[in-house]
Amino acid sequence: MARRKGLGRPFFLVLGMAAGISVGRRWLDVVEVRGGSMAPSLLPGDRLLVESHSYLGRPPRRGEVVLAADPRQPERELIKRVASIDDAASSAELRGDAPEASTDSRDFGTVPLSAIRWRAVLRYWPPQRAGRLAAGE
Amino acid sequence: MLTIRSLLRPSRIVDAHCDVPCGIYDPEQARIEAESCLRIIEKYDASDDQLFRNRCIHNKEERAELVKHHLDVLWHDYFKPEHLEKYPDLHDTFWKATKQASKVKQSLDAAAAKDLLAMIDTIDEMWKATGGAEKTRVNGRPS
Repeated sequence: MARRKGLGRPFFLVLGMAAGISVGRRWLDVVEVRGGSMAPSLLPGDRLLVESHSYLGRPPRRGEVVLAADPRQPERELIKRVASIDDAASSAELRGDAPEASTDSRDFGTVPLSAIRWRAVLRYWPPQRAGRLAAGE
Repeated sequence: MLTIRSLLRPSRIVDAHCDVPCGIYDPEQARIEAESCLRIIEKYDASDDQLFRNRCIHNKEERAELVKHHLDVLWHDYFKPEHLEKYPDLHDTFWKATKQASKVKQSLDAAAAKDLLAMIDTIDEMWKATGGAEKTRVNGRPS
């Protein structure tokens, strides 16, 4: 059982997020994860804060969790981890954290960096697993 | 609080997508193709019919390519980072086995085909030690 200290970190986290999101969903947004290919890092139903500011100034980095349009079905937005970046080709290889349950660059090849605009920053739901998303391998 | 709540409502769904997480793996698939290669090489050696020998070469190359494919699927899809901790030479084992499959594809050397079988058996041991049929085959298959 967690001890309660005043309003606690989660409250300010939520308040900060709300303030940020109200600035405009162009830079900050919240999304819900569907599917299990990012398990155990992300589970179906997890809600995440995503931001689109970083990639205006720099390309995605290996290990970051990103949103990208599915190259085979652009209206679908995928969430995967960046496995590698090819600077010369301006493309990224995306992988699910659960390789046996993931359709990713192994199937559809690399995606252009221009297809990656959003970076997943933190999980705010469910509260017991709230926190920053670790950069993986 | 209503506004905070509405702001925290996800605006869209993102897909941690998987077409078909079938999760079925067995090194036996690679082994059967490798056994075909060995047997074809033996038949090639025993024949003096040039047409038959040509067919042997053609078929052996196809089988060897399938060995590589099945090993690749195990390597990429079945084995996971925690298996690498248990078997630090996992990558090296697969690399050598797939190279050996290339060698079998290129040559008519029965000894090379036998070496390939031994390498697949090493992978089979790793597969069994990390879950094997219990985890990656459908229950109730005939043994």
